[in-house]
Amino acid sequence: MVKEKVRIEDISKPVEQLVKITLDDLMPLPPPYDKPGEEPEVTEPNPDWKNKYVTELDGYIAIDLPWKPKTKEEEEELVKKFLSGLQKLLDKENNWTFLQPLMLSLEYCARCQTCSEACPIYVSSGRKEVYRPTYRAEVLRRIIKKYLTPGGNIKAKFMGDVELNANTVMRLAELGYRCTLCRRCTQTCPIGVDNGLITREIRKLFSLEMGISPTSVHHLGTVQHLEKGSSTGLTADGLKDIIEFIEDDIEERTGKKIKIPVDEKGADILLFHNAGEYLSWPDNIAAFAIIFEEAGLDWTLSSEIVGYDAVNYGVWYDDVQFARIALKHAEIAHKLDVNRIVVGECGHAHKAITVIADRIFVDEYAIPRESYLPLLWDIVRKKKLNLDPEKNSFPVTLHDPCNVVRLMGIVEPQRKVLQEICPQFREMHPNGVYNYCCGGGSGFAIMNSMNFPEFRAKVSTRMKFKQILEAFQDHIEPDVQKYVCAPCSNCKGAIRDILTHYNATEKCGIHYGGLVELVVNAMVDIEEPFIEMY
Amino acid sequence: MDEQEFHVSGIVKRKIKFSETCEKRFSITQKEKIFIISKKSIIKVMGMIWLQALVYFSFTVFVLAVLAKVVKYATMPIHLRWELYPVPHEKGRAEHGGSYYEEPEWWKKPRETTLLGELKEMLMEMLFIKRVFEYKRPLWWFTYPFHTGIYLILAWFVLVFIGAVFEIAGFPISAASLQQLGFLSWLPPLIYYLTWIVGVLAMALMLIFGIGLLLRRLTDEGMRSYSSPVDYFNLLFIIAVVATGIAAWQYDSDFTLARAFMKSLITFSPLPSVSSTTVLHVTLLSLLFLYLPFTKMTHFFAKYFTYHKILWEDTPNLKGSEIEEEVKKVLMYRVSWSAPHVKPGLTWAEEASKVGLNEIKVWKREE
Repeated sequence: MVKEKVRIEDISKPVEQLVKITLDDLMPLPPPYDKPGEEPEVTEPNPDWKNKYVTELDGYIAIDLPWKPKTKEEEEELVKKFLSGLQKLLDKENNWTFLQPLMLSLEYCARCQTCSEACPIYVSSGRKEVYRPTYRAEVLRRIIKKYLTPGGNIKAKFMGDVELNANTVMRLAELGYRCTLCRRCTQTCPIGVDNGLITREIRKLFSLEMGISPTSVHHLGTVQHLEKGSSTGLTADGLKDIIEFIEDDIEERTGKKIKIPVDEKGADILLFHNAGEYLSWPDNIAAFAIIFEEAGLDWTLSSEIVGYDAVNYGVWYDDVQFARIALKHAEIAHKLDVNRIVVGECGHAHKAITVIADRIFVDEYAIPRESYLPLLWDIVRKKKLNLDPEKNSFPVTLHDPCNVVRLMGIVEPQRKVLQEICPQFREMHPNGVYNYCCGGGSGFAIMNSMNFPEFRAKVSTRMKFKQILEAFQDHIEPDVQKYVCAPCSNCKGAIRDILTHYNATEKCGIHYGGLVELVVNAMVDIEEPFIEMY
Repeated sequence: MDEQEFHVSGIVKRKIKFSETCEKRFSITQKEKIFIISKKSIIKVMGMIWLQALVYFSFTVFVLAVLAKVVKYATMPIHLRWELYPVPHEKGRAEHGGSYYEEPEWWKKPRETTLLGELKEMLMEMLFIKRVFEYKRPLWWFTYPFHTGIYLILAWFVLVFIGAVFEIAGFPISAASLQQLGFLSWLPPLIYYLTWIVGVLAMALMLIFGIGLLLRRLTDEGMRSYSSPVDYFNLLFIIAVVATGIAAWQYDSDFTLARAFMKSLITFSPLPSVSSTTVLHVTLLSLLFLYLPFTKMTHFFAKYFTYHKILWEDTPNLKGSEIEEEVKKVLMYRVSWSAPHVKPGLTWAEEASKVGLNEIKVWKREE
């Protein structure tokens, strides 16, 4: 049933499940997780799921829509739609957004496999073939050659064959969600082939042509974002309540009376937060407000629909949804007549609005956009805050969000801030642009249907967990409180989940949070610790 | 000119009178005495015309096909930004992988780039295959000498070309220095020896490590399962070209014949008489050149695009820039994706800005 050595052509095979994750195969973890029995077992997929959802790949379900074809006709229809989508992916008008990088990546891979070892998912899984960065790319390449170019059947005999059937399509769709698009593989490619991009294009094909994508990314993600204002479901009224609550909380804990500016027309800065912060980590919102007020910045938040949620899930799977949200963000900034947009602690929002949307914004939409990180370093460097690093005298390590670092080149400001305010700061290895993804990238952190969280905990965040444990090996005992600084909502979510899964806060005293919280925690005039670790 | 040779030339001359163009291209009567055509080689000479034509043809096709591919990629529409750090032209920041986004209000400051940084990284990759060295060292020990062999064989062609040009100009290339060149009398022997060293080294590297790469592909599980018959064929093809080249070299140990061959190619005059091994070698080499542009083996130019136009392309879209013009153009392309949330037939600009929330609701209810 489950094959040991999976080959490219096996993707079409009518077996129940192509691979199975087992504890024995997984990459070993450092102490105290180096002994058997230290982590929860792997579970079996619920047998009922098989009828509606695709469990044929590895038993995990990322796409939680009941899209599994039931009849021969439905299967044929699925293959047909897939092919028409694939054609559009290779078409100038439908895919101008990524045509050149996609074509080059499809055409020039030498299958040298230099990239494989760079992939945290492939390595963590115990090197399961299907997770290899080149696996899904090679499948797609062979399908294109065989089914979309003249003489395809003959070419397939010589250039590599794969059969396109419902199994292939189903497994390929799930495979689109076994990579966090961190693009670490691309850094190692001597030719510059981008297997991360190919994964994203696979997701895009399914979304844009067939409407197939994880609910949390699309229906509850971009659609809800555009419709209700936030992918968290937070409404504008709800937002106002939370802001009031945060203001009260700031006063209670710090004695500072701060009015958080909302919809201030003509402000210098429009600050975009991931709305997840309001609901899960309101301290982050509070810390920003305290720092910005203390530094005397002229800033505002937006309470307009879409404007109070910086996320843009479109970057992960759909160019149309991406463009809609990006334009909406720019439009809100334009209406508020601000000088610049500053993005808070949300990695993909950084990349989405500053880098990727850069080639969507023209005319009035082209408002300058930047990260909060250089601004924060500027505030700390110019001593606009009275900071005492001794208040942060506990071990701190930094997680680099891929979107901010590898994909945007912001590496030093956050380090300079930490070196200034955290005497026990230590790096993870590797770090900076060569960091490992938190495992929650590209939507994984918010995809919680069925057994997908288990894939995240066991495989995709495993490498990050290993790095965190290694960074703290000198004080791994639970009575020393330690802090993982993860300046990104999704990364924080992923790290929160893995600390929970491995019970690492209790067992090793590891806590997590953002960067601004550490800054506020070091402020001399705030008596009570802003960061609570217990 | 001895009688036998004159006789043969006469026959050949009559034969090619049939074609005026041929007569123009091959001036048989020129009084060169470097090669001796025997009676037996009449058929060969006719074959040689065919071979010469093949060389010109395949080289032309190679150049045109590569150009066509370059044009194909160069004229693709502007894509969304998708850079990957470190970007080596970020001045003062490339070392830690930084970008201009590390600067507060970056748009108010001049953008500082360094061409030198970019060139350095490019050369490290081109000359040393840095990424394979760093990330897959066991493969590097094979692929690097092999690629060095390719560079050397290209250098060999250049040297043979230079040598041929010297000879056409009346300065024969040999081991002896040439007094008529005055203070440059050492040049012909330099070219002579360099050609030999570079050629022999190139052949050795390509043969040994070509076979090595083939064996690696067969034994490395990760590579074998992704290899298709074409991947093996490509390597075997190259190995065959090199092997026949080595065989041909046995008849031309100091590459004098190779230079004569090149001279004929340059001057459009008949090829020298060569062994059938050489004919086989040149034929295979020409076929390889015909084949290359249609394979992934032309990744040398693909790298220009992947690095310079994608991974290192971080030029911001500023108001009134060329990029902005390009963007405005592509935003007018039409979308025909079929998912329920896409309204087909609209331009990208309309799709992103004019599709109202109500319409999104409509498709959601229909679903």
